[in-house]
Amino acid sequence: MRNVWEADTTLELEAAKPVELTLDHCIKCNICVTVCPVSAVTDLFPGPKYEAPQAGRFRQNKQPTPDYSVDYCSGCRACNLACPTGVKIAEINARARNDIVEEDKQSGRNKLRNNLVARPELLGKFGQPVAPLANFLLHGGIGRFFADKLLGIAPKAPLPVFSREKFSGWLKKRSAPANATRKIVYFRGCSTEYFEPRVGKAAVQVLEANGFEVLVPEQNCCGLPLLSNGEFDAARGYHESNIKKLIDYVKQGYVIVGTSTSCTLTLKEEAPELLDYFTEDARLLAANTFDLNEFLTMLLDAGELKTDGLRPIPLRLAYHQPCQFKAHRIGRPSVEIMDLIPELEIVESEATCCGVAGTYGYKSEKYQVAMDVGRPLFEFIHEVNGPVNVCDSETCRWQITAATGQASVHPIELLSAAYGYPPEGELAKVLLPLS
Amino acid sequence: MSNNNDVLVVGAGLAGLTAVWQLAAQQKKVRLVSKGWGATHWHSGCIDVLGYYPIDEGQPVESPGVTLAKLIADQPEHPYALVGVAGVETALTAFQTLCAEAGYPLHGSLDKNWLLPSAVGTFRPTCLAPETMIAGDLRRDDPMLIVGIKQLVDFYPNIVAENLVKQGVEAAHLMLDLPKLAQRNFNTPISIGSIMAQADFRKDLVQQIKPKLGKAKRVGLPAILGRQPSLAIKEDLEKQLGVPVFEIPGLPPSLPGMRLHAILLQAIERAGGRVYHGLEGVGIENEGGRVTAVLTEAASRPKAHRFERYVVATGGILGGGIVTNHHGEARELVFDLPVTLPESRLDWFEQDFMDPKGHPVYRAGLTVNAQFQPVNGGSQPVYENVYAAGITLSHSEVIRERSFEGVALSTGFAVGNLLAQ
Repeated sequence: MRNVWEADTTLELEAAKPVELTLDHCIKCNICVTVCPVSAVTDLFPGPKYEAPQAGRFRQNKQPTPDYSVDYCSGCRACNLACPTGVKIAEINARARNDIVEEDKQSGRNKLRNNLVARPELLGKFGQPVAPLANFLLHGGIGRFFADKLLGIAPKAPLPVFSREKFSGWLKKRSAPANATRKIVYFRGCSTEYFEPRVGKAAVQVLEANGFEVLVPEQNCCGLPLLSNGEFDAARGYHESNIKKLIDYVKQGYVIVGTSTSCTLTLKEEAPELLDYFTEDARLLAANTFDLNEFLTMLLDAGELKTDGLRPIPLRLAYHQPCQFKAHRIGRPSVEIMDLIPELEIVESEATCCGVAGTYGYKSEKYQVAMDVGRPLFEFIHEVNGPVNVCDSETCRWQITAATGQASVHPIELLSAAYGYPPEGELAKVLLPLS
Repeated sequence: MSNNNDVLVVGAGLAGLTAVWQLAAQQKKVRLVSKGWGATHWHSGCIDVLGYYPIDEGQPVESPGVTLAKLIADQPEHPYALVGVAGVETALTAFQTLCAEAGYPLHGSLDKNWLLPSAVGTFRPTCLAPETMIAGDLRRDDPMLIVGIKQLVDFYPNIVAENLVKQGVEAAHLMLDLPKLAQRNFNTPISIGSIMAQADFRKDLVQQIKPKLGKAKRVGLPAILGRQPSLAIKEDLEKQLGVPVFEIPGLPPSLPGMRLHAILLQAIERAGGRVYHGLEGVGIENEGGRVTAVLTEAASRPKAHRFERYVVATGGILGGGIVTNHHGEARELVFDLPVTLPESRLDWFEQDFMDPKGHPVYRAGLTVNAQFQPVNGGSQPVYENVYAAGITLSHSEVIRERSFEGVALSTGFAVGNLLAQ
């Protein structure tokens, strides 16, 4: 039998299910309306049922868009998960947004802004090498004033901080562990490379502790920010390039793991589905891509995860599962993994969404909506009142921290610390006094 | 995940949630997976146990307890026969205790059905009703004022009141125009339910109703008294109005149904059970007469859930647990269990659409043995570790009998307790 860390290259590849046709499954039961966090706080978005299965009927055959309110869908997918009949609401809305972009109906300012925020890789490549200057421009009062006025980026938008060191720079300085018995590919995502290398370091450490040699091939942005800003053609370019750069590893039998739940979801499903991109290579890549914690639970089930000698972490921490992780539809693997750490108490958030939804909450016209959507989560974080909180997705972490003033870490940072690796950043400040 | 996973329940209606609640409360390692949310967001928030029997006589059941015994004697294959009257009573009492502890009591018992107004002004027999509805009791003769809100388009107070009057109930009606709601273009019970939590909005509402009370001694509203399982909004309105207030459940989304859903979810999570929605059951793995995994649809590949035992609570044809096609085939969707239904599609229906006897297809479902295990003729289970609960069971007509929540709750409760042993 195949080991869980070996890629499945003999898949029976299923045909794609058509996105738009699912609107015929809608029975108008309104359950989506009960879970939509956006329509709950603003009239600018009339709700999932209205936008997708109803307005969707008027959007077929490349007819002009009947309604621009669909741009206020944050793409969180809470509706998809609640729908009892399987309407692909968020995907229908994403495609409708793409139609608006293709019709070129956005204002020039929003178009420029969306083009920018949808390209974290480009921003990272230019900004990271001059991190102190870039951070000054991005986070200083003057920079933000002009960003708001000229670009429509909200003055308080939770933008990331460029890291002084790139993840790939750190990786180059290390040599592969001598005792590795198996290989795995790590999809780092833009945020690990340019903003939060500590997450990638923790991932590499955990995988190495489990006997893996971690390969980090050249790779591009997964394209999700482009997909959620309606730039499908550009997203297709990125996805094509990622397939080229990664598919040979899959064919050699290696699986791909990632710490950014939105990147892995894009490789698994978002890109192929939204772009109708179902080549054999695209499907092979999708079928062999895993969220890192999802993969660790599989190792755990197979009895192959290192669980002995874990150091206790005597903390009570709030955990919020990002929408983009819920959308993998695999339960809550991170909680299963964090449960292994002695003395760590995880309090799970039942809030729907932090509001930021990738780049949605950066935009001046949507910033307040995003903050209102996130309010129940922020209240929960304050209530638990830990020294840090835990969340799998980078933009959600930045949003939570900006809104609550509390640092936010990735679950893998906790496991890495429990394995005995020195924590970094805010987690170091919390854990070092305890040890 | 493979270490000691006791029970996986498929389906998040009242039956599935109740089974998981019972299992989790008895320290079993349980998980519930469902395609989405469902029946709990649609139903009235009352527990109908038996409203009409015999159905074609069209008379509301006075005492569900007494009539239930007769139904069980007449129909030994009915799901209620598997549970027994005592089993139904145990489930109802446990659920009432749970709701009372959550600060949202359900009133009533098997002794007597309530008669409450429906959203079209008919008499609605139900066994347990939340405290937010019982002032609508139609056996009382104090006059009522039915109040609608112009901005909530799914509730028509004139229809409710006029139909009640025709049946001898003293009822007047009033339609309010609330400017504060006009600020929003799209009002649903969800948006109004949340604005009802604001004291100044309630004050506006009361100020519009009070001068129009006339001789009314109670006020009926659409079911908008808050999303949370709480009596706070109702009690505040009553204090300000000086008369009892009651809700009339209407079109989905149903806040009273969602309150019961919230109470069950909380109880499950508190006891360490897990509920994952958005995970549609699509198949199984099996070996030697046992199911070894349920597969759910997920991004890019199915996810396997490996448990000792499995409960199917995915509902019937209406709920989506069973699908039929025009070739006359019927199939249970996750485990591919055999469905009890007349062989020929021609025999699924009577000649008349409105036949008072109903149509045989209404009784379609899974046939189970005394241990709630689906069987294929006889009493031998199809799989030794698969059980069924709720509306997916055959031999009942839950909508026409008005037994929907009673069948779901009592069979879910029974299966949960059976598997907790």
